Amino acid sequence: MAKLILRRLFGTLPVLLGVSFVVFVALQLVPGDVARTILGYNATEERVAALRAILGLDRPILVQYVTWLGNLARGDLGQSVALGVPVLTVILDKIGASLILMGASFALVLVFGLLLAALSGGHHRSPLDRMIVLLTLVFASVPPFWLGIVLLYLFGLQFRLFPISGMYDMANPGGLPDLLRHLVLPAVTTAVSSLAVVARVTRGRMIDVMNQPYIMTAKARGLSRPRIVYVEAVRNVLPTYVGISGLQIGYLFGSAIFSEIVFNWPGIGLQLYQAIIQRDFPVVQGAVLAIAAVFVFGNLIADLIAAALDPKRAT
Amino acid sequence: MSSISSLLKPSVTMRRTLSGLMIGAMMTAATVLTPMSRASADTVLTIGIEADLAKLDPHISGTWNTFKALSHIYEGFVAEDLLAQGVSTPPIVPALAESWTVSDDAKTYTFKLRQGVQFHDGTPWNAAAAKFNMDRMLDSKFKYFQPGAVPMLQWVWGDLDSYKVIDDYTVEIKLKQPNSEFLRRLAAGGSGTPRMISPAAIEKFGNDGIGQNAVGTGPFMLTERVVGEKTVLSKNPNYWDPKRAPKVDRLILRGIPEVSTRELALMSGEVDMIATPSPDSIDYLEAQGLTIVKGPVATIYPIWLNFKEKPLQDVRVRKAMAMAIDREGMTKFLRRGTAVPAYGILNFGGPGWDADYRDWPFDPEGAKKLLAEAGYPNGFETRLDWTMGGGGDVNTRADAEWLQRDFARIGIKASIETFDNGTYWDMMAKGIREGSCCMQVSWGETGFYWLDLVVSKAATPPNGFNSGYYDNPKMDELLAQARSAPNEEGMVAKLHELRDAVTADVAFIPVYTPLQVYAMRPNVKGFVLAPQHWADFTSITKE
Repeated sequence: MAKLILRRLFGTLPVLLGVSFVVFVALQLVPGDVARTILGYNATEERVAALRAILGLDRPILVQYVTWLGNLARGDLGQSVALGVPVLTVILDKIGASLILMGASFALVLVFGLLLAALSGGHHRSPLDRMIVLLTLVFASVPPFWLGIVLLYLFGLQFRLFPISGMYDMANPGGLPDLLRHLVLPAVTTAVSSLAVVARVTRGRMIDVMNQPYIMTAKARGLSRPRIVYVEAVRNVLPTYVGISGLQIGYLFGSAIFSEIVFNWPGIGLQLYQAIIQRDFPVVQGAVLAIAAVFVFGNLIADLIAAALDPKRAT
Repeated sequence: MSSISSLLKPSVTMRRTLSGLMIGAMMTAATVLTPMSRASADTVLTIGIEADLAKLDPHISGTWNTFKALSHIYEGFVAEDLLAQGVSTPPIVPALAESWTVSDDAKTYTFKLRQGVQFHDGTPWNAAAAKFNMDRMLDSKFKYFQPGAVPMLQWVWGDLDSYKVIDDYTVEIKLKQPNSEFLRRLAAGGSGTPRMISPAAIEKFGNDGIGQNAVGTGPFMLTERVVGEKTVLSKNPNYWDPKRAPKVDRLILRGIPEVSTRELALMSGEVDMIATPSPDSIDYLEAQGLTIVKGPVATIYPIWLNFKEKPLQDVRVRKAMAMAIDREGMTKFLRRGTAVPAYGILNFGGPGWDADYRDWPFDPEGAKKLLAEAGYPNGFETRLDWTMGGGGDVNTRADAEWLQRDFARIGIKASIETFDNGTYWDMMAKGIREGSCCMQVSWGETGFYWLDLVVSKAATPPNGFNSGYYDNPKMDELLAQARSAPNEEGMVAKLHELRDAVTADVAFIPVYTPLQVYAMRPNVKGFVLAPQHWADFTSITKE
């Protein structure tokens, strides 16, 4: 196991390096000039050129990349153009909120994904099964930015069950209960499509398992149906379930960006969105890199858990 | 266990149970998590704005949005009175200078500073504090010099010769040449503003730290700044001007970039007031009992015409394009009353704006004739380069489609290409590309400095935003004469001359002036909307 962890950990390095290069180059290709952004549109061309030289923007792109990477290794992601604070501070400030949202969404995916799979796959072709199949099809197709607005309208405005936006009450922040109240709708919005994918894939495996001889044997021996479905069968879909759930981590982060914008959740996605609008390139670079890192490490952890659960894969 | 086994038998009840599952879970969660009701005695006004603020350093802050906070935290020698009603340009009033005199040659300004004023941290306001700030903006040898302020504030200090402290409460500023707009530029903002920061705070937080730890003399003090989330201001109990004393204890500015969320937050009461709802929602919000306040802002949307394109080199073609556009219809049916037609290059809110001025009539038939005379009886093909706009721009793409239709009427077939705002500004800075006839951004201030960047020959790309390569040296002369005019009448006369020349050349086609819109809950009263890109929130009460 230790060997596997080391090998996989080592394997993430080239991925992260690749991501950093793509992020760096992509932003160079975007028309736009950091120096011009900093100095404003009233600045003369000479002043902009002078600042470009100070910032090293006139050097070859590879040299710039290596310098940037060197700074990155020292934890220096540069200075935010719009905010005037180190990018690292902004990222560290915001990543926590995103991880809370993602964690809550992931918990919903895990719990309801398995529950729906068992309820439908364990009772193949029952009305309940058909309903869940339809429901998950709808869930899997719903774009988060649309669903978010609908949920806000219904549960935020019409029924007044949950707040509309933010992470805490602005005037009187109220600790954990306040946070949880704010968390429900964005977490549901973020989770829904991944939840549906997990439920559908796990359901397929569940149907296979339900036709295995040992389930027949269990039935013949007169075990109660709940015991067969929720204990005997579920145990054997776990590797599939963990594998597909792990794959959702990346998608969840993608959906979380939309949820953060719709619910004004002060995480890294909302910050990224504002940075793009303000042309705050250093923040865009840092935010994309942070998201990529979470993606890579999330998948790594899921892989390791799947390996730990599956005796055949643990080497 | 019984509940699970009952779930396993498919039945009508079960289906209902399951469909109710999500909603039920949500309701339970909501009940459990009901917020602790905390009675707070202070009145808090929360405003949802288009984006989070940038750094709160007035000398280098370049977004209009950020001025919603800056204008409450900081003050300068003079100010624009944003609470004045029924004016098209906010009047200049004393602020940290109690009074001033201008020498006969209009080159020396002597400011008598207000006594007994303190910065929010207790530092006294005096000539030394003023000099500290001037040095920060202008003196490269000063310990706390802010290099970014020089290009940012070029529009304010461009004519500066020298400044000096006369006594503890007197500062003298000398200009190289008269500047009829000097006081306006001291008072306005948008691209930096020469407002006064507490010297002690700069020493404490450093040149960069001040952007997160703003300390000024204004009616509100910064109490909390959470980047990307909120800016909390609280009432300055020692504020010197009773007219601008805040009526609420705290003011929270929240950036909510998604407009639907902003509107929902207002409807649910989560925020008390929002800036820039979608034009399509205004009627609905009003029907919900919310108050809508709207008024024109010191801005104009002109079309930049590309003088490098062959057909557009003929003034008759440019005039035909102008006459093809139905500005009245556009503001009425497309903008649905959130814009008014603009005539002439001088913007509403700026000097020399004239409500009765008209440039070209809407006349598609006449336009067709002009095109035929110019040798284009069947029109020509071209392209509109357009932008989705920034926070305050709404649905600009539809404008392009409206223009496309208007141009098609006279035979000009225009395709549309749309870009994000940042890219678009860079394209403007490079000059309109080959094959495109037109670009458009919103511009305009309460001063006329923006014209130096847009119509003058000196502003031809890459040195400015004369992006259509309008080549009329008279512009530069008239702008210089307007700036150095001895009084306001003289300045306005020169600006009118400039406006008429631009109209005669059909160098730009002004389209409309947008109305800025705020929506608020019925218990929010006393809001005054100024013809400026930001408003004064001190007059607002919350019942």
